[in-house]
Amino acid sequence: MKIRGKLLLGCFLVMALAAFANAQDVTIAIGSEPTTLDPQLREDGGERAVNDNIYETLMARTPKGQLIPGLAASEPRLIDPQTWEIKLRSGIKFHNGEPFNADAVVFSVKRIINPKFNSEQISFFNTIQDAQKVDNLTVRLKTDGPDPILLSRLYWMKIVPPKHSMDSKFAEKPVGTGPYRFVQWDRGESITLVRNSNYWGTKPLVSRVKYRFIEEPGTRLAGLMAGEFDIITNLLPEFTQQVPKAIHILGLEHPIIILNADGGPTKDVRVRQALNYAVDKDALAEGLFEGFAQVAQGQLLSPSFFGYNPKVKAYPYNPDKAKQLLKAAGAVGATVELIGTAGRWLKDRELVEAVAAYWDAVGVKTKVRIFEFNEYLNRLFDRKTRGDAIFVVSSNELLDADKSFSAYYKAGGIGSSNTDKQLATLIDNARSETDFAKRKSIYHQAVKRAFDQAYFTWLLNIEDIYGVSARVDWSGRVDAKILVSEMKVKK
Amino acid sequence: MAEAAYSSKMLSGRWQDRLRGLRSLTQELWRDKAGFIGMLLIAALLLMAVAAPLLAPHDPAAQDLRARLKPPAWSAQGTWNHILGTDHLGRDVLSRLIYGSRVSLLVGAAVVTIAGTFGVIMGLLAGYRGGRTDSIIMRWIDTQVAFPGLLLALIILAVIGPSMITVIIVLSLNGWMVYGRMTRSAVLAVRQTAYVEAAEIVGCRAHRVIFRHILPNLTSPLLTLAILEFARIVLAEAALSFLGLGIQPPATSWGLDVATGKDYIFRAWWLVTMPGIAISITVLAVNLVASWMRLISDPQEREKQFARKMAVRQRRRRATGQ
Repeated sequence: MKIRGKLLLGCFLVMALAAFANAQDVTIAIGSEPTTLDPQLREDGGERAVNDNIYETLMARTPKGQLIPGLAASEPRLIDPQTWEIKLRSGIKFHNGEPFNADAVVFSVKRIINPKFNSEQISFFNTIQDAQKVDNLTVRLKTDGPDPILLSRLYWMKIVPPKHSMDSKFAEKPVGTGPYRFVQWDRGESITLVRNSNYWGTKPLVSRVKYRFIEEPGTRLAGLMAGEFDIITNLLPEFTQQVPKAIHILGLEHPIIILNADGGPTKDVRVRQALNYAVDKDALAEGLFEGFAQVAQGQLLSPSFFGYNPKVKAYPYNPDKAKQLLKAAGAVGATVELIGTAGRWLKDRELVEAVAAYWDAVGVKTKVRIFEFNEYLNRLFDRKTRGDAIFVVSSNELLDADKSFSAYYKAGGIGSSNTDKQLATLIDNARSETDFAKRKSIYHQAVKRAFDQAYFTWLLNIEDIYGVSARVDWSGRVDAKILVSEMKVKK
Repeated sequence: MAEAAYSSKMLSGRWQDRLRGLRSLTQELWRDKAGFIGMLLIAALLLMAVAAPLLAPHDPAAQDLRARLKPPAWSAQGTWNHILGTDHLGRDVLSRLIYGSRVSLLVGAAVVTIAGTFGVIMGLLAGYRGGRTDSIIMRWIDTQVAFPGLLLALIILAVIGPSMITVIIVLSLNGWMVYGRMTRSAVLAVRQTAYVEAAEIVGCRAHRVIFRHILPNLTSPLLTLAILEFARIVLAEAALSFLGLGIQPPATSWGLDVATGKDYIFRAWWLVTMPGIAISITVLAVNLVASWMRLISDPQEREKQFARKMAVRQRRRRATGQ
């Protein structure tokens, strides 16, 4: 009798515990399995989704994108144009007990900039030359020139524990300072994290999080509907009506068409402007993206990015004006080659087809070329075979104009189809200008210049859409990070 | 003078023979109702492909983003302006279906013809010659089967660029091996038969033996294979085009419309269903006709058919006699 009673009580306790644990659990379905859990090695969205919760960076961002100190105690100070001094928070420990201090920061910086380490993230940090320890909680970073966006770069660099990262199993057993601690990685299945009870910051509410890797958008949707997942990424706009809750937030991705300003029919600025007037961006946003995209305001920047020029507005949809401009330029009936790809970005093929139809409607002959992704990349990165127009989706994780502009606006950038010296000089000047206000005004000029010259057909700024179950409260972030510490499970 | 008259008479005789042959063929087709329906369907499909500009109610490339994903006319929100609804860019599904038939039918027919002809010739050679010819051809086939098709497609794409011709070339290069293998094994079996040996002993040349005595006996398995391949090719073309290796917008094909409509299947079932039905009907029609052709081309089948006919006639005679 007694034994049975105890057993029953035991069962009861276990069940109660299970129920309690369930109430605090969150399952997140992401599109791809991390290739590694080393936070400094790859440029991998799956890895980031998990490690953003395990590791932390010196600078952080609010959900709205404002830069704030993270592991740094205060905003880093510039002591001379090429040296930044960073004070660190004290008393923080990595999950394995290693202390977080100047040594850890210096080690992390040197690790990621070491050419032998061959990090795929190096393009974010190529201005950083050296890191020096001043005292236990102070570090100095040297850059190769004035670097006004070092703080945005620091927001991307995860700090690793010096001792444990030498371990050969480091890529499978991550150890950080963040609000969640690694538990288990079942290859091909899931990754589990639990709450770090010694976390230095605000204590997170969700106690346990499981990541599942589901490639097919339809399967992710089905899992959410069945209650298997709490959050799914990259929900198609068409399915937002069906899910319990759809969160959408203006993201970092800008689909854009690069026009060749140096040759072909698009050499004439009037033709380039006509190609902008010809496209009904509102219809693309409202129709094709069902309202889950906003019209890009004539620049390759979101309003939350540094350098965004609020005075520049999108070219309005005006097919008559487009026809006039084409006529004036003598380009009626000219053949414009438009290159795109399929299946890489949300609705990439559809966008290219839609733009081509708009262009045809005002009197150019658009020759659409949808290439398989590798062949497409060959074209994109080769100025000679890029064609008159090429579609690309630009994503800017630093939330600063520098990255997009050096790649696409500046003559000689990997995706730039112009040789505008004036624009290139502006971008170079902004790069070494450390005064915030001055730098901003230089970018405003650059945005205006590129807009007037119509070097691109600016299309949209896409919203990130997440499907969320009814039991989880979360509002998403502009930097597209999925931070579990910002979630809440309803009782 | 007399010679000329003689030859013209012979000529008209030959024409009459042909006409008579055609007439009996039509009669046989009429008798096989399934085959007749299949033939009608094929004729209708061909007519649709040829007369596409006359039949299509809209320009297949004309988009209207604000009227996208409209359902077919018979459902609540449908309009008769777009009988089969509109797609994800607001284009008329029916018009795209009509225009899409051009690419799908042409690619399917061209690839089956090219790959089939080449594969069968290779198979005949390998099977009939044997020895070194056989091993060279068969090793070639093995190597090519092991070679990934997509890679081949990529190489060709890099050289000549994506177009309908590219698709036909790629699919033909990738599809002939199965004909080769099948023909060879069938030839090996037929080669041992008495009539082939007899033909050889009589002194027929190799090409006569191959084309007059062996090939006709392979008609029925090859027809069956060609039809299975046709259906596969229509879908393979879609896969290539979707990846950007095939036909380029605004041109379209049934398979491509299925591939692009797939993402919308929960929202707009008609995007995949309509071109899907078109593919099914085509394959069905080709199947019906091919099954009839197999019947009339296979001597054994004809014998069976004849026996069945005789049996029926006898039974009838017996019934009337009593």
